[in-house]
Amino acid sequence: MAYSQTFKDHLARPRNAGTLPDADAEAEPVNPVCGDRLRLALRLGGGRIEAVRFLAYGCPPTLACGSALAELLEGMTLEEAARVTRARVAEAAGGLPARRQHAAALAVEALREVLRLIQTRGEI
Amino acid sequence: MRRVYFDHSATTPVDRRVVEAMLPYLTERFGNPSSVHFYGQEARGAVDRARREVANLVGARPNEVVFLSGGTEANNLAIRGLCEQHAEQGRHVITSSIEHSSVRGICDALGRRDWEVTRLPVYDDGLVRVEDVRAALRPDTVLVTLMLANNEVGTVQPVAEVGALVRERRAGGQKLWLHTDAVQAAGGMRVDVDELGCDLLSLSAHKLYAPKGVGALYVRRGVRLAPQNIGGHQERERRGGTESVPLIVAFGEAARLTRMELEARVEHVARLRERFEAGVEARVADVVHNGDRTRRLPGVSNISFRFIEGEGLLINLDMQGVAVSTGSACSSGSLEPSPVIRALGRDDELARGSIRFSLGKDTTEAEVDYVLEVLPRAVETLRRLSPLYQKAQAERAGAPA
Repeated sequence: MAYSQTFKDHLARPRNAGTLPDADAEAEPVNPVCGDRLRLALRLGGGRIEAVRFLAYGCPPTLACGSALAELLEGMTLEEAARVTRARVAEAAGGLPARRQHAAALAVEALREVLRLIQTRGEI
Repeated sequence: MRRVYFDHSATTPVDRRVVEAMLPYLTERFGNPSSVHFYGQEARGAVDRARREVANLVGARPNEVVFLSGGTEANNLAIRGLCEQHAEQGRHVITSSIEHSSVRGICDALGRRDWEVTRLPVYDDGLVRVEDVRAALRPDTVLVTLMLANNEVGTVQPVAEVGALVRERRAGGQKLWLHTDAVQAAGGMRVDVDELGCDLLSLSAHKLYAPKGVGALYVRRGVRLAPQNIGGHQERERRGGTESVPLIVAFGEAARLTRMELEARVEHVARLRERFEAGVEARVADVVHNGDRTRRLPGVSNISFRFIEGEGLLINLDMQGVAVSTGSACSSGSLEPSPVIRALGRDDELARGSIRFSLGKDTTEAEVDYVLEVLPRAVETLRRLSPLYQKAQAERAGAPA
């Protein structure tokens, strides 16, 4: 399976990997079929996403999508973040093989869950 | 970038001496072995010499060797050929749960065609038990197919003991035969068809420093098979089609070199593997070795790295020039952890985190050391990303000392 250079770069130098102790919200959805998991944590400041961290376990597309999403989100407003799609994550990850698109779905699921938590808490 | 090939179980580089041997048969010695004239007889002579070399490698007679396209075709001719030929005698086959995918696929196909297949388990050492074979034998069992050495973990199965069992049943009048897939084993251990007591044995040249596209099936004298490739008289009616003379010549030379150099190759890769495994243990925590560490091929090391997934590690290593393999795959969101590692009783996480390192006759100490330099960093990169690792670390930090 051929992966792009961008994709491989995400694996070798993951962006914003780690934990965020002072996160405003954090979610860790799991793909029930394959067990892949992606933890996403955001901290807000000045109406924007000030800090993002991710952790991921699973196949390379899941790791690359976590890294790509964490890079994309930094500096976005919550409205902009809400408009991030699977296709945009996949593109930022350097493209995904046809049968690995589910990795982008898991990343967007993590994002939606975090945004929902923030809205629920009225921190918007 | 420096490149290190640690995937000799997948395929081996072609030995220069093998290339030299085959080259004339790609150019001026182009005859068809079935032709009566000089060109044909020149090619026939080369095929006959290669047949003797391949026979010598496994202690067989030349006319017991059928050349074909490789291991998968050998397994097809052996298993389907035997079962179809002897369907009247019985329709029960015994195999193991860790066979190569070609044998698994063939047995699955037989299962859809009114044959019954018993798939024996392996234990956490990756080995089949002879007692399990004995217990699975039935009066209508016609074939036991058990690989000689496993392709993922390298464990060497008790084929000789099963061979003795099969002979014992045959002496009692049962029509029963034994096939062994020796594709992985042939380059890493002495293989002798009489010592094994097998009736059919599959070989592939590209695991022995020859090109891809050629292999052989050993068929013990007197064993009848339904040919799977019909329409030609080649290979004593057992495999129709003009022989690939250059590839067969290459196989013959590779078999000769393997026989001559086997002892030195085994000693060399065993020593390097020991250096490699000791290095991994010293540098990387939370690893699990897969398969019995004494009854296995000398050049194979299969290790599960906890908290991470194999393909990510494979890609990280590849980016640093190190080629390895993993038995796990993920597609369309459905996880397919290595069936072999799962059969060893490992959980999904360990099965997903398994990597096969396979060393070859030309692997050097410096290459082992280079892998030992880059591997811990690659594992660390992925573990820093892993929520499973972070959780385990937090638990360890919170646990009483």
